[in-house]
Amino acid sequence: MKNGPLFFFGLFASLTFSFAGVVLFSNYQLGGLAPYYDDSEGKSFPERLPGVAARGQMVYRDLGCIACHTQQVRRPSFGNDQAQGWGDRQSVARDYIHQPYPQLGAARIGQDLTNLAGRKPSALDAEDLMKLLYLGQGAMPAYKFLFQDVKVSGQVPKTALKLTGKNSPSPGHAVVPTERAQVLVAYLLSLKTAYDYPESRPVVKSAAKAEGAHQ
Amino acid sequence: MSTDSNDSTAIDIHSRGPLLLLLASGVLWLVISGVLALIASIQLHTPTFFADCAWLTFGRAQALRETAFVYGWLANAGLALGLWIAVRLGGEAMRAGNWVVVGAVFWNLGVSLSLVGIAAGDAAGHTFFQIPSYAQPLLLVAYGAIGVAGVLAWTGRRHETGFASQWYVFAALFLFPWLFSVAQVTLVWLPVRGVLQAIVAGWFAQGIYSLWLAPLALACAYYLLPKISGRVLPAYQFAVFGFWTLIVVGCWTGGRHLIGGPVPAWIATVAIAACSLMVFHYFVVFLNFRSALGTKSSALYFTSFGLLAYLLSGLVEAVISLRGVALYAQFTFVEQAAQQLSLYGAVSMVFFGALYFAVPRLVGKSWASSFLAGGHVSLVTVGVVLLVVALTAAGFAQSQTMFGATQPAKFADVASATRPWLLMATAAQVALLLGNLMLLVNFAQTVAALVPFRAAGNPVSRPALKAVLS
Repeated sequence: MKNGPLFFFGLFASLTFSFAGVVLFSNYQLGGLAPYYDDSEGKSFPERLPGVAARGQMVYRDLGCIACHTQQVRRPSFGNDQAQGWGDRQSVARDYIHQPYPQLGAARIGQDLTNLAGRKPSALDAEDLMKLLYLGQGAMPAYKFLFQDVKVSGQVPKTALKLTGKNSPSPGHAVVPTERAQVLVAYLLSLKTAYDYPESRPVVKSAAKAEGAHQ
Repeated sequence: MSTDSNDSTAIDIHSRGPLLLLLASGVLWLVISGVLALIASIQLHTPTFFADCAWLTFGRAQALRETAFVYGWLANAGLALGLWIAVRLGGEAMRAGNWVVVGAVFWNLGVSLSLVGIAAGDAAGHTFFQIPSYAQPLLLVAYGAIGVAGVLAWTGRRHETGFASQWYVFAALFLFPWLFSVAQVTLVWLPVRGVLQAIVAGWFAQGIYSLWLAPLALACAYYLLPKISGRVLPAYQFAVFGFWTLIVVGCWTGGRHLIGGPVPAWIATVAIAACSLMVFHYFVVFLNFRSALGTKSSALYFTSFGLLAYLLSGLVEAVISLRGVALYAQFTFVEQAAQQLSLYGAVSMVFFGALYFAVPRLVGKSWASSFLAGGHVSLVTVGVVLLVVALTAAGFAQSQTMFGATQPAKFADVASATRPWLLMATAAQVALLLGNLMLLVNFAQTVAALVPFRAAGNPVSRPALKAVLS
């Protein structure tokens, strides 16, 4: 390694090689991924997030929800994500094409949220989510800073949380979500993977084997 | 490699201003990141802790801790030690020391700005890449200024040598800016679409470890261990293969975190294969250092501990990247344990070793307190071991309750199963913080010895140094 220029050429070639292989090649493979147009439904999937939910994703991102929650379901034959009720199909690259900042995540200190609003038999609704954010649950902290305690005289605001027992605000007061809480909940309610893309259907092993046997 | 000579002493004293500035900032960030790590660790078992504070949600505390540790402590210390080795092996006085000082000031301003930005919610949101977009160019430019001294150390080197420590130092110094700027362009300025961001982020995070932090640590080890133990490294002719394996293959292992994820399957497959290939690199490192390890001095002890942790982390990565294991280890605290093993157990410990060796030589005076040094050694050892063990155990408990279940897991069960281990991890963070505080005090007292005479500037003028060197 006495040859300086050759040494540096080697360094840069190595980094370029991995960059080309990992980044450029996957960009070549996935960069042009288009929404899937379904003839029978007459529209394409995934659908774009409504504006309010897109703003909610920014709140999700800036609070760092990704530190505890993933948004990627593994295929049914790989892990028990399906048994957990997190989703009946695996997440595929096409699910994320409209997201400016996909929140795949790497830790499951809490649940996977890919299909939070599409859970069966019943998913949490806006009121449940508001309460969950305000009160916390188990390892999930209460994000009280997303809410305001306001004085009310006369009519209670429509958005006020319906709290009971020791959590209820003092008389003459109400707890109302801030705008950030509202857009965050709108985002959480948009988390659905209802549509099945051709590539998201699991390969059925027996069928594949039978095909092989014919040849 | 020659032992300490008058040459190195003169070079050390000449370059001590900029290097001590970098080291001091590094140690300060180490303590700050320790406080942040403690907060994040407490939040894991006591979610109400700082829950009312939007600036310190768990997600933000985690990002803050990581950024302060990697870009505060490891970067400052790694750059200081790397330049120190580069300059010493070059056999010439450090040039562009003023550039290093200016670069160090702006680098640390950039890191401070990043922490404020992350706390305010501007994190870029990827592993090792949390720095807010507006602080990134500043860091890149500041790094460039510090790097000038590295470039000049390379071009002005007096000996045409082939030391492994030199290859590792220069690889690290020169690959970081490219890696960092590519990540900036592809993730921030012209972001790639969808899951490609996760792929780029994985590639970058692995590059930060394999092409920057690990090479800096290995440079320290290759430089110090033969010096301290007074032995020639066995199988040294293989070191070159170990080096190129790390540089060529290292970055390819990044995709292992995406196993089973919504990305093309080849990304994970290539990463798993690369992890196995990397075992060759770790084997060469083992061959080189097998007889040089020891515990006689703080420097030797920390470097040896770090190298053993480095070897262990290589094995752990190869094992948990296998699909059958990843199935259970993925998304759990086991991954955090592996990360702490490499960052804290390996890189940071080797840096401690080099710090204990370099500071007395830069200051020209031995460490102020052997009690504080001893306390640092024991507390950090206990802390790192406890942290990695606790996180691994928490990961097993988490995996069992979550991935072992055939029906929806109750997260209350997961929380109660992991709680004892997470408490243990907090205890480990307390030990680490106390230990590092002792290092900070000891460092400050040692460097303070310089103050009465003159500010830690250049006590040896260039012409005088030239006379010594020629």
